[in-house]
Amino acid sequence: MSLIKLYCEKFTAFDKLNLDFSPGINVFVGANGTGKTHLMKILYAACDITKTKMDFAEKLSRVFLPSGRALGRLVKRHKTSSRGMVEVHRADCKLRVSFSNHAERADSAKLTGKADWMLRSMESVYIPVKEMLSNAPGFRSLYNQREIHFEEIYADILDRAYRPSLRGPVDKARKDLLSKLQKAIDGKVVVKEEEFFLNNKQGNLEFTLLAEGMRKLGLLWLLIQNGTLLDGSTLFWDEPETNLNPKMFGVLMEIILELQRSGIQVFMATHDYVILKELDLRKKETDKIVYHSLYGDDAGQIKCQTVTQYLEIHPNAIAQTFADLYDREVKRTIEGSAQ
Amino acid sequence: MTTTLTEGNLQILFPAGISARKFDDDQHGLAHCMKAVDFIVELNDRYLFIEFKDPQHPNSQEGDRNKFIRGFLAGNIDQDFKHKYRDSFLYEWASKKIEKPIYYFVLVALDTLTEADLITRTDALKRAIPVDGPPYGRWKKKIVAGCALFNINSWNRVLSDYQVSRITP
Repeated sequence: MSLIKLYCEKFTAFDKLNLDFSPGINVFVGANGTGKTHLMKILYAACDITKTKMDFAEKLSRVFLPSGRALGRLVKRHKTSSRGMVEVHRADCKLRVSFSNHAERADSAKLTGKADWMLRSMESVYIPVKEMLSNAPGFRSLYNQREIHFEEIYADILDRAYRPSLRGPVDKARKDLLSKLQKAIDGKVVVKEEEFFLNNKQGNLEFTLLAEGMRKLGLLWLLIQNGTLLDGSTLFWDEPETNLNPKMFGVLMEIILELQRSGIQVFMATHDYVILKELDLRKKETDKIVYHSLYGDDAGQIKCQTVTQYLEIHPNAIAQTFADLYDREVKRTIEGSAQ
Repeated sequence: MTTTLTEGNLQILFPAGISARKFDDDQHGLAHCMKAVDFIVELNDRYLFIEFKDPQHPNSQEGDRNKFIRGFLAGNIDQDFKHKYRDSFLYEWASKKIEKPIYYFVLVALDTLTEADLITRTDALKRAIPVDGPPYGRWKKKIVAGCALFNINSWNRVLSDYQVSRITP
């Protein structure tokens, strides 16, 4: 059962924001500082607690990591006292949390809708911008035992990656996805004593020796192979383009589209034109893609325009940059043209 | 008197005093072995070689249009643009008509082309022709002074003296 809506007030960068989601692919675009990652973290926290049964405010505090773990620091900064609020909706229930900007601890937050929200668990994965697999050995135990300053999404992604393979036969759709990825990374991923290796004809290659972009594709292979990404799961991917050569973007978007077709709800944030264009060129009519364009209005408030077609994205910071480049390029070419 | 030249469903209007001619017409005489750009314009300080492509022609089939778009974005049409330019250049050179720098402008009449597509294909065309000669300055003359791709919007914005429009919507 997918996420259908998010509403928040006075939370981090947002004064008031209301978003409706596609059950398929949701793409966040917008300049730096428009809150793309924040939105994905809120949604991920709401999904993750259905499995771990952790308190929603506590999970928000762990994935956002405000200074001193003071929850109140997630309230949008105002001169006077204020309360922040977040509401996440599924078809038949909603989860709501609110807290004051003075809140130190997560248990001081007001939570409603928890009982219904927890009735059905949702599998979810958050792939952060920074690659973690190469730093994995020892990280999880360190994270669990010590107060180290890492957002919990980094520990969580390792938990998902370390899961053993799913029991039973692999269905055709999953097999096809795995072989596409195997072709892209030229091998399979194996785990030995908490260390990740790429296994190919030459043997086992340490992840630390792999290009960072390849490690990301390796992670995706693991998540599909061990059944974390299955029908009903939710995938959050922050800037999938990071450290990956644009030539690989086509394969990557094909896999994202296939995951969506097999019932996985996808949220991703991107700054990259090729990612958007590959998605647009490869989509079929039945694919459910929406683009959420985040921008700061004249009053400095973050707003969002949601559209279903790439060309309708407005404002589109990426396209505007290209438009500016194009105009300067053409100007240089025809400079002095005797018109 | 203004001059209007047409290519399929597209027309281009030149102001009075500009010498513009259709190049790939029956007068060409070598259509069996040489490709040709659509129009050649002579200005005071330069020539403009102009090529029009109209995948959005009102009578075009959706399948053909999509095939063109895919090919165009993948770079397959660059070769066609390149050959049209080079053959036209040779033709004009042999006619002793190249006395000024030449600028090559290609119009692809497709509303959905973004500036990112246009700049990517402009760069590719520059490499294909090529705009720059071999290293170490071996070429003493450029075979093209500059080239760029446009859609109708960007053409009319940048080259506003030579407005392009559809003959029938």
